[in-house]
Amino acid sequence: MRRGWMALAAMGLASGAARADDIAQKAAVCTACHGETGVPIDKAIPVLWGQNEGYIYIELRDMKKGARKNDQMSQVVNELSRDDMLALAAYFAAKPWTNLNQPRAASAEQTQFDSMARSAGCVGCHQEGYKGAGTQPRLAGQSVAYLEKTMLDFRSGARTNNAWMKDLLQTYSPADILEMARVLAGL
Amino acid sequence: MKRNGILTGWVSGLGLACAAFAAQATEEIKGAGGGAAAMTATPSAVTQTMHDNAAKDGQNFLQTNGNYGQSRFYPAAEINAQNVARLHPAWVFQTDVLDSMETSPIIVNGVMYVTTSFDHVYALDARTGQQIWEYKHKMGPITTYCCGPNNRGVAVMGDKVYLATLDSKLVALDAKTGGVKWAKEIADPEAGYSETMAPTAVKGLILVGTNGGEYGIRGFLKAFDSESGEVKWTFNTTPENSQGIWATKDATGRDMHRDIAAEKAAYSKNGDPYKTLGGGVWQNPSIDLSTNRAYFVVGNPSPDLDGAIRPGDNLYTDSLVSVDLDTGKYVCHFQYIAHDVWDLDAVSPTVLAEAAGKDGAATKVVMHAGKTGHLYVNDAKDCSLIRFSEAMIPQENMWVLPTKDGARMLPGANGGVEWSPIATDPGKHLAFALNLHQPMTYHVDSSPYPDGKLWLGGAFKIIPSEEQWGQFVAVDYNTGKVAWKVKTPQPMIGGALATAGGIVFAGEANGDFKAYDSASGKILWSFNAGAGVNAPPSSYVVDGKQYVVVGAGGNAQIDSKRGNAIVAFTVD
Repeated sequence: MRRGWMALAAMGLASGAARADDIAQKAAVCTACHGETGVPIDKAIPVLWGQNEGYIYIELRDMKKGARKNDQMSQVVNELSRDDMLALAAYFAAKPWTNLNQPRAASAEQTQFDSMARSAGCVGCHQEGYKGAGTQPRLAGQSVAYLEKTMLDFRSGARTNNAWMKDLLQTYSPADILEMARVLAGL
Repeated sequence: MKRNGILTGWVSGLGLACAAFAAQATEEIKGAGGGAAAMTATPSAVTQTMHDNAAKDGQNFLQTNGNYGQSRFYPAAEINAQNVARLHPAWVFQTDVLDSMETSPIIVNGVMYVTTSFDHVYALDARTGQQIWEYKHKMGPITTYCCGPNNRGVAVMGDKVYLATLDSKLVALDAKTGGVKWAKEIADPEAGYSETMAPTAVKGLILVGTNGGEYGIRGFLKAFDSESGEVKWTFNTTPENSQGIWATKDATGRDMHRDIAAEKAAYSKNGDPYKTLGGGVWQNPSIDLSTNRAYFVVGNPSPDLDGAIRPGDNLYTDSLVSVDLDTGKYVCHFQYIAHDVWDLDAVSPTVLAEAAGKDGAATKVVMHAGKTGHLYVNDAKDCSLIRFSEAMIPQENMWVLPTKDGARMLPGANGGVEWSPIATDPGKHLAFALNLHQPMTYHVDSSPYPDGKLWLGGAFKIIPSEEQWGQFVAVDYNTGKVAWKVKTPQPMIGGALATAGGIVFAGEANGDFKAYDSASGKILWSFNAGAGVNAPPSSYVVDGKQYVVVGAGGNAQIDSKRGNAIVAFTVD
């Protein structure tokens, strides 16, 4: 997973100027892991193509200022200005969502998920269909491994940049969370 | 559905309007009396005088809640208790946004303005539902959605239509074309500011509050110049001295179990929390032009559940506030709940009325239906409490403090009465309120200010094993007694409309839209719209025929079935 991305990072960000035609070059750093055609090189890396613009920006911002800790991302974000972050967010949000062809959940699981989700009011932020909007991320069709890790990390406090998500997910068991990840991934 | 399109305004109806004008001219020359269906209505100007007389206007529906008092009492009686059983759809308009609808349709001389989720605005011919134009707001990348991508409608004044957006902008549109005249940022969306409310237009001002009580913002009511968009005044809802009088009881006299000593120690140590204290103003103020005052209610303190981090009464959260209309300066306030840790904030808009005062004499009052389940009646002069009603829904374990593992209390955090505007029948001195019964557990967990993200200081969770339902309740506001109540299968959110025909309308999550006899609560008519009717109804008259119109788009907050329709009804 780490093969060559450091070299790409140095190459892509050498200029530092946030011109529109630089964005594709800057984005090369991202596609090294998040995939040149949108399919990430590893199941643990999230789909970026088609993710919501505000959310991408907020995560880049939070990782740069240390509100969210992520070893793989820390080198990348340090080179990005706010304008870079907004431009990259717009660039990836404009791409079509990547279909990872993950299996759809059984209807019994779906029904149980609906009940769990209603309890916490997930659609209030993540919208009907779990595609999110603005600064709220799309969950539908995201990598199941990434969803599981993210929700468990919120629950444990390992992911630190959303206290509300932590509080909400602490009211579910890890088994509940794995089931929710499976259903969301299959949407 | 992605909303990051390229269009900022879409002048789709211009050609149609021109054709309509030509057709109209031709009809006039020919002297043809009929053929109304061939012509499309043309948007017309709205004057301050029209707004002043809105309460008596039985043709138009000029404001979000009918008139400046916000009575939601419509003075037409062509549709009435005797004939409403024959009510049926006259037309259906299907918008292009399938999501929550909270819009109050506005009707001006036969042209209707409605909004959808994600801030689209439509101008429609109110007689036929034909589209005149559509505006699709281009949302900025940083847009926060606390409780759904909702919008409650537009304000109209002069030749413009005003919209407040989820990315915290105030947009002035040309009423004839839907083109943008100007757009101003209301407050920084990255800090958590956002809008779902309809603005209020009065005396050259556009009044707008703000969302964000769940985001650690500093709430406000702002007045913008209706022509230029410049800010004329701002009333901040959290004053620099927000600690208040360290009240231990709420407005109804119940102990809220505050640890005043601990709070005072925290206050001395950390100072006043006003900068991130919340206090959004979720909906339209009432206006009294004879005293030149605005009345509004203020939302919850931030963070919702964690009170330890914000010691003091947290003024003016969960309060009735009155300000001078010209300057925005404070006149008076009354706090329903001091130092709220349950998110039982004041959101349903105020209603100005005449009611029995403390001494029984007729008095100008300001009413508000609370998430607590009480209807509060306050003196409009000095904001003092006159009475509060019997509870409209079950209350259990009131004011139990939230815990880490969750403490159960009724009502749940949505109420009682959520944002749903009440209707009133002044002749019967009745107020009609949409209530929710949603048992919840309240969990507290302290966390620091999160820089523009959702900040609840814990969580609310619906208890899946307990039944949820709703209740439509009529309260006699002279006595505080419940006059009648009708249970509904799902929690109610939306709005009510009462009319001089002796009926009151309200919709439900299962798609039912009903007419009740105002005096008795008897259900006189019902129609199922196929998606949640969770929006406030309006009424209007065109060519001598009365219509009732409502949005059927469901609602994110109670997760009712989503739809995209505006449905207008008549009696034939």
